[in-house]
Amino acid sequence: MKKMNEQQIDHLLSQYVDGRLSEIEVQKVESFLTLDISVQHRVKELRRLKDLLASKQKLTPDIGFWTRFAVALEEQKKDEKSFLPFPRKFIPVITVMATALVVAAGTLVIQNRMQFVKYFSEKSQAVREVYEKNVLQGQLLPLFSKVDKDRALQFSLFGTLALDDKSKTELRVDEQSKKGYRIEVGKDSKNKAKLMTFNRFLAEVKPTSEQKHLIDSLLELTGRRIESSVLIGENNAMAIAPDLPNLNRMMVTNIAACLEPNQRIQFERLLEANDAPYTVTAQSVPARKGDCIFENISQSPRGNRFVIITPDTMMYSQLHINFDSLRRHMEENIVTFELRREAILKKMIAREFQYAPRNVPWPHQVQSFGNDNFFSVEINVPTEEIEQQQMRVIIQPRLRKQILQTAAPNHSIELHVWRDTVSDGLAR
Amino acid sequence: MALPLLDVKWSLKDKPYQIGVRARSFVPSFTKTNDARSMTNDQILQKPTIEVLKKMSDEALITAFQGGDHDVYRFLVERHQERIRNMLFSIFHDRDFIDDLTQEVFIKAYQALPRFRFEASFYTWLYRIAVNKSRDELRKKKLRRFFSFQTLDEGIKKELNVRLSVPPEDRDTQELVDLGLQSLPEKFRTAVVLKDIDGLSYEEIAEVMQCELGTVKSRISRARSMLRKALKPLLEEVQT
Repeated sequence: MKKMNEQQIDHLLSQYVDGRLSEIEVQKVESFLTLDISVQHRVKELRRLKDLLASKQKLTPDIGFWTRFAVALEEQKKDEKSFLPFPRKFIPVITVMATALVVAAGTLVIQNRMQFVKYFSEKSQAVREVYEKNVLQGQLLPLFSKVDKDRALQFSLFGTLALDDKSKTELRVDEQSKKGYRIEVGKDSKNKAKLMTFNRFLAEVKPTSEQKHLIDSLLELTGRRIESSVLIGENNAMAIAPDLPNLNRMMVTNIAACLEPNQRIQFERLLEANDAPYTVTAQSVPARKGDCIFENISQSPRGNRFVIITPDTMMYSQLHINFDSLRRHMEENIVTFELRREAILKKMIAREFQYAPRNVPWPHQVQSFGNDNFFSVEINVPTEEIEQQQMRVIIQPRLRKQILQTAAPNHSIELHVWRDTVSDGLAR
Repeated sequence: MALPLLDVKWSLKDKPYQIGVRARSFVPSFTKTNDARSMTNDQILQKPTIEVLKKMSDEALITAFQGGDHDVYRFLVERHQERIRNMLFSIFHDRDFIDDLTQEVFIKAYQALPRFRFEASFYTWLYRIAVNKSRDELRKKKLRRFFSFQTLDEGIKKELNVRLSVPPEDRDTQELVDLGLQSLPEKFRTAVVLKDIDGLSYEEIAEVMQCELGTVKSRISRARSMLRKALKPLLEEVQT
C-alpha cells in the first residue's frame, strides 16, 4: 500500500468505507490502518463526510407542485400543437436541411457572383438603352390623338377614356385609397360609366354662352393635356404622367366653379345620375372668373415627369418633348402616324405586361408590386396646395369624402397596367 | 397534499344504496377521454380507488399510463417529485430555479413515458432525465459565465474559506456542505450527490450517468477527496 499514490489510496479507502472491497482487500486495508495513523484519520474523515452528506437537510415538500405542473404540462401540449406544423422529432432533420439549403444557396450565389453582377449591369444597360432609343430619339407618340370635346368631357366627369372604338380598351383613373390614385390601362370595366356628350351636358346644365365658351376652352385644354400625358413608343414602351388623375378632379372642380349656384345643382344631378366619382358640395359659392380657373391647368405634365414602362424596364424620369412640334408633325403625316400608333398599341396591349421587371434598380421613389396578371407602380408626388384648397371648397369624392379631410402631405399615385385579354385575341 | 375532487355515483340497479366514490379528474382536460366524468358507472366502479393506485408499483402505474390512463401519472409524479427536487437542489442550490427544472424533468418524462421499456427502474430512468437536464443547464450557465467573464468556482472557494475561518460555534454545517458541493466540477458533484445523498448504488449511478462502473468509482473517490480537502477544518473539528 505504501507504493500506491495518494489518488489510489483515496480510491481504495472510498471503496472501503462503501463496503465495496473483497474480504482479502478489506483485511489488507485494516492491517494497514493499524500501522498508519494518518490513514486512520483519512478514513474517519471520509466516514464523517459521508454522514454529513447523508444527513443533508431535505427541502420542505412542495405541496402545490402537482397543480402547477398540470397547468405547465397542458400549456406545453397546447404550444406543441399550435407551434409546429410537423412532429417534434423532425426538428433536427428539418433544421439540418434548412441550414444545408441556405449554405447551398449562399455558395451558389458566391460562386456565380459575376453572373449576377453581369445580369444586373445588363438590366441597367437595358434601362439606359430604352431611354436612349425610345425616348431620346423621339420615337414616342401620343396614345390619344384628337381627343375631342365629348371624350374630354367623358374623361373629366368619369375618369375614363376609350383608346379607340374598336379595341374596347380604355384608360381609367380613379381614387383608390387615402394614399393616392390609380391609373389603369386595360379592357372595359364591368361598371362602365355612361357615355356623356357635350350636347347632353349643355342640355342638362344650361350654361350661358359665356360659360359654354369657358367650358369649351377647358375641354379643349383637357384634350391637349390628355394627349400629352399618355405616350407610347417603339419596343412597346409607354410613358404616363403620374399627375393625370388630378386632371379628372381639377376638371370637375373647374366646371363646377364656372357655374352659378342654380346651374351647379343641375350639374350635381347630372353627376349623381351618372354615378360620377365626384360630387359638388359647395353649391352656394359664386361662379369664378376664367383666369383663376385656367391657371391651374397646364398643357403638359407637371415638371415633364413620366413613368416610362417597357416590358423589361420601368423608370420615373423627366421627358423633354416639344408637343407642338410633335402635333404638327403628326398632322402632316396623319395616316402614317395613325397606322404606326395602332400597330404599336395592339402590340403593346397584347404584350405580357405581367413580365414586369423585378430586378431593375428603381429610382428610390418608385416601388413596384404585382402578380401574373398586372403590375403596379407607386410614386410619391408633392402635394399640390392650390388644387387641394380649391377642391375643398367646391367638390369632394362621392364615395370617399374623408380623403380630403385627412389629406396627407404627400400623395401617392398607383399606376396599374392590366393585361388585356380582349386585345390579346385581336393581336393573334 | 391537495385532494382531488370527488364525484359521487349512485348505482341503484345492481347494488342498491351502494355508493362508488372515485376521483373526478387527476389531470386536466388533455386526458378528456379518460376523464371520470365521461365514464359510465360500471367503468368508474371498475377503476381502482385512489388508495389502491397509491399502493401500486411504478411498473403497474406505467403500464396503466401506456394503456391510455394518463391520470395515473399524478401518482408517479407525487411519488418521485421530492427525490428529484432534492437531487437537483444538491446540484444547483437555487430553490426557484430547481422548481422550474423539476417541472421540465417531469414534462420530459411524461412525453417519453409511452416509450418506456422497463429495462431500468422508473426512478433511475427519471434520475437519468434529471441528470441530463441538469448537465444542459450547467452547460448553459458555464457559457453565460464565459461571456460575462466570471469565475464562479473561484468565488465559491473563496466564500467557503471565509465561512470556514469563523469560530467553530458560528459555523453553519449545512451551508458549508452546500458550498463544498458547489465547488466540485459537475461530473464529480453529480456522482457524489447520487451516492451519498440519494443513496443510489454504484450500478444505478452508472446507469443514470451513462458511464462505466469504474468511472463511477473513480468519480466518487475523487469527489470525496476534493470535498475532504475543502471541508478539512469542519471534519477535523468533528473528530476532535
